[in-house]
Amino acid sequence: MLKANIIPLFVIIPLLSAFLISLLGKYLKRQFIYVFSNISCFLLLYFSFYGLNMLRSCGSNIFVYKIGGWAPPFGICLVFDGLAGFMLVIVNLIAFIVNIYSLNYIEKYTDKPKFFTLVFLMLTGMNGLIVTGDLFNLYIFLEVASLSSYALVAFGTDSEDLEASFKYAIMGSLASIFVFLGIAILYGFTSTLNMADMAMIIAEKTGSRIIPFVSVLFIVGFGTKAALMPVHAWLPDAHPAAPASISAMLSGVLIKTLGIYALARILFNVIGISSAISSILVFLGALSLSVAVLLAFAQTDLKRLLAYSSISQVGYIILGIGLATPLGILGALFHLFNHSAIKSLLFLNAGAIDYAAGTRDLREMSGLKEKMPVTANTSLAASLSVAGIPPFAGFFSKLIIIFACIEKGYIGYAFIAVIGSILTLATFMKMQKLAFFGKLNEKYNYLKEVPLAMKLSMVVLAVICVCGGLLLLPRWNFFLSDAANVLLEGSHYAVKVFEAVK
Amino acid sequence: MNKFYPWFRSDNLNGFIGLAIGLFAVLTLLYSVKFMAGHRRLIEYYACIVLTAVASLLVIFSNHLIILLASWGFLGLTLYLLINMGDDKASAAAKKALIIVGGTDALMLLGIGIIYYLTGTFQMDKIKISLSSNGFLLPLCAYLCIAVACFAKAGAMPFHSWIPDCAQSAPVPVVAYLPASLDKLLGIYLLARISLDLFVINNAIISIILMLSGAFTIIAAVMMALVQHNMKRLMGYHAVSQVGYMILGIGTANPIGIAGGIFHMLNNAVYKSCLFFSGGNVEYRANSSELDQLGGLARVMPLTYISCLIASLSISGVPPFNGFVSKWMVYQGIINNWQMAENRWQMIVPILCLIAAMFGSGLTLASFMKLIHAVFLGQPQAKQRANLKEVAWQMWVPCITLAIICVVFGVFANQLPLKYFILPAVAGVGFSGAWYAGFSTLLIIIGLALGLFIFKFSKEKLNLRQDRAFIGGEDMDLRIHPVTGTEFYNTVSEFGALKKIYSRAEAGFFDIYEQGKKLISAAGKVFQYLHNGILPTYLVWMLLGMLGIFFILLR
Repeated sequence: MLKANIIPLFVIIPLLSAFLISLLGKYLKRQFIYVFSNISCFLLLYFSFYGLNMLRSCGSNIFVYKIGGWAPPFGICLVFDGLAGFMLVIVNLIAFIVNIYSLNYIEKYTDKPKFFTLVFLMLTGMNGLIVTGDLFNLYIFLEVASLSSYALVAFGTDSEDLEASFKYAIMGSLASIFVFLGIAILYGFTSTLNMADMAMIIAEKTGSRIIPFVSVLFIVGFGTKAALMPVHAWLPDAHPAAPASISAMLSGVLIKTLGIYALARILFNVIGISSAISSILVFLGALSLSVAVLLAFAQTDLKRLLAYSSISQVGYIILGIGLATPLGILGALFHLFNHSAIKSLLFLNAGAIDYAAGTRDLREMSGLKEKMPVTANTSLAASLSVAGIPPFAGFFSKLIIIFACIEKGYIGYAFIAVIGSILTLATFMKMQKLAFFGKLNEKYNYLKEVPLAMKLSMVVLAVICVCGGLLLLPRWNFFLSDAANVLLEGSHYAVKVFEAVK
Repeated sequence: MNKFYPWFRSDNLNGFIGLAIGLFAVLTLLYSVKFMAGHRRLIEYYACIVLTAVASLLVIFSNHLIILLASWGFLGLTLYLLINMGDDKASAAAKKALIIVGGTDALMLLGIGIIYYLTGTFQMDKIKISLSSNGFLLPLCAYLCIAVACFAKAGAMPFHSWIPDCAQSAPVPVVAYLPASLDKLLGIYLLARISLDLFVINNAIISIILMLSGAFTIIAAVMMALVQHNMKRLMGYHAVSQVGYMILGIGTANPIGIAGGIFHMLNNAVYKSCLFFSGGNVEYRANSSELDQLGGLARVMPLTYISCLIASLSISGVPPFNGFVSKWMVYQGIINNWQMAENRWQMIVPILCLIAAMFGSGLTLASFMKLIHAVFLGQPQAKQRANLKEVAWQMWVPCITLAIICVVFGVFANQLPLKYFILPAVAGVGFSGAWYAGFSTLLIIIGLALGLFIFKFSKEKLNLRQDRAFIGGEDMDLRIHPVTGTEFYNTVSEFGALKKIYSRAEAGFFDIYEQGKKLISAAGKVFQYLHNGILPTYLVWMLLGMLGIFFILLR
């Protein structure tokens, strides 16, 4: 039972940090805030790995923490299983790296304590959403993360930022209402809010039309958070408007935790996925990945291009999850991991260019490779990885997703995924050519490479992009396969949760 | 090699290609020592060259489709990095190359996925898919997907358009190394592999598709080459054109044709690298690759001249050089098809292809005479510096080595390359008209010797007269109006119907890349119109999307 005691830390550490920074931030030196925020991010990352390692070593593949000692279904429980561990590692890894990056990057913004407060609140929301075993709790954490992200998008307080934040807030709140409605209906249907208990009751009461109705509410609600077409429209405004390190968090982990993880957890483990829902997800995924990449190709604003590409890559992940086959889910989760590293890195690169050259317009940049070699090379690695060029990690995840489509007999969807991949390649080659290759624009002769902390975080992410493919090796593939198994078990999740609390 | 089975496998088809890859890698490295000296990113350059060789060997020897796919895709990346080291326009060429090559790799992934779906294995020697069985469409899709990747890598039409751009902008050793030799070897190797081993082609449609695309590639690319004014771009179009012969050979689907196609692949790699290396020598010394700015270099660069001449004759299929032997085998393959035709309709394709192949060969000779004349013969350009001299040995040794291979593979074709490399790889090759180079070579040598003898020893008796040049009754000062190699060929592009085609081709009308770009931009515009940035619109979509899903699920 002792082992489960680390689970609340994933909520406590960021919440406490947010609280302390907002309370004491004004009176402390800036350096102290930096050090403090990095230490708490590091602790979170450490505990994520520690929990994952414990999960491996102790044989049982799930820990449950009972809040206040009340056993579920009456008390609230926190659950740490393969999938939660997988997501926690991704979220906290990206958060840690982005935090290092922010040390230099947020110099140009005022009121740093508020920035870190909001970041830690967002982190609280994401971590809490991942570990919670209670549906209403999930909604609370969803809102915590969403609200802080609305504020972070508007952090620059330009008119553009405010407009984007407004749109994001409206659409996000609407999505939250759908989710809330879904939860309320489920509560009425099952008389419980505990996810494991709910899963057991739903598994017994079959044939009701409430379940498909609620599924649609969840697809639209969480789909909006994940920026699935046709409910994606807030993302191309919101992600470019945020400060680069926040864009990296939003595109890298927020849409995946709030959207994909929550959707997959509820659809697979709680209410059970039907073939109709699965084919809707596949269709929406294919739609997103093909249409968004066309839009990305047409952009000239670097961050906007990346934002559209995020929609497209989320389409791949949803496509893989929607297949609901072992290979499809494995590919989708692997792509989720890769994409969070890739897209964070690309947004950090965009931030580095903005930091050094002060522009986001691709037409104004040219030949930056000469002056900013680290940014250029890491960006190249990320671009090739997202475009699916071997031996980068993105190649393998796309390969698995496409093979999974073919395996299920969806040759047409596989073809769409291939075409999407080709267009992604074209988009990112265009970006590389305009930004980094060619002749150096003369007005950038004074340019200098960005400071050390920014370089360091970009290099670490680039290493992940290059070496991510190693996760498929038998020695390390437990990271992915444990997570995929949780989804594949379906409502057996409930049995395991109840076994663990006995 | 058995130790690595089932991951890797060596057999008669890939063994000699591995040898060739090694040879080209060594020659390129030797050549680069001088040519690339002083480049800013030398470490990256040499790393890419070596990695390319390693990845190519992996592709050639792999017996597992995923290893093959990954190393094949990796070559696209090294190609991209290497082209980027060229001149100012190189980044555009590199982008184009990676989009075309990498994009078709994604199609290859789809093809491999379908193969796995059909057979349940990735092991290449266990795969044998019949194309005429029931469920014909899926195997055909898989075959075409992989064939498209081969076409793009080797540079056959319509996936060729990256090669001329790359040839013009990338550093010369890179062009000689990748598009001219290694990419051809790999593309045609994989095409041969899937056509011979992975799929059983007992289907006339595939054969006709391959033959027609081969024939079209030969003619269209050589016509483009004919009107080029840049030495490297001209050679680049020939790098496309020659692929046509290989695909034509493999498309005939009879042993002699396939053997011819594979032999042509080897020969092409040899003489095409030789041509690019010699072109590089010229560019290195004269600092230009525009035909109009060169001339009369034969006197100062004799070794380059000789190797370039031999390679030019070889690519044009002049006996007794190697290009002739393989082309002759391809012709025989086509003629066999012709003879096997059961009715008149089936005869049309072989006849068309034969005409295209022979005509293309003639045009190749024509365009190389233009190049030889413009670069090595004719009058030296006034602008050229007096200090022109032969290049360093690191640069001419690769040229001469490859030129010697051209001669040896031609004269001793039956004794060396065919016996050891080609014939073991393709079963059941029967020559309908064998060509023995020995005697005719002897006659050629005797003829040359005789001519030289007469020229040397009867010089005084010849009645020579030198006079001014004049055209149309007017004196012409050759120093002001030199007879360039290019002018004559301009008439081709002004030739009625061709003129329109040429102007469109220059505008990228036939370029799948340019057309694709236009298409994507147009589609992007439509969707951009829908993203008008107005919140209520977005909310309407959201609700409409939700209603749609409700309708599907709950109707």
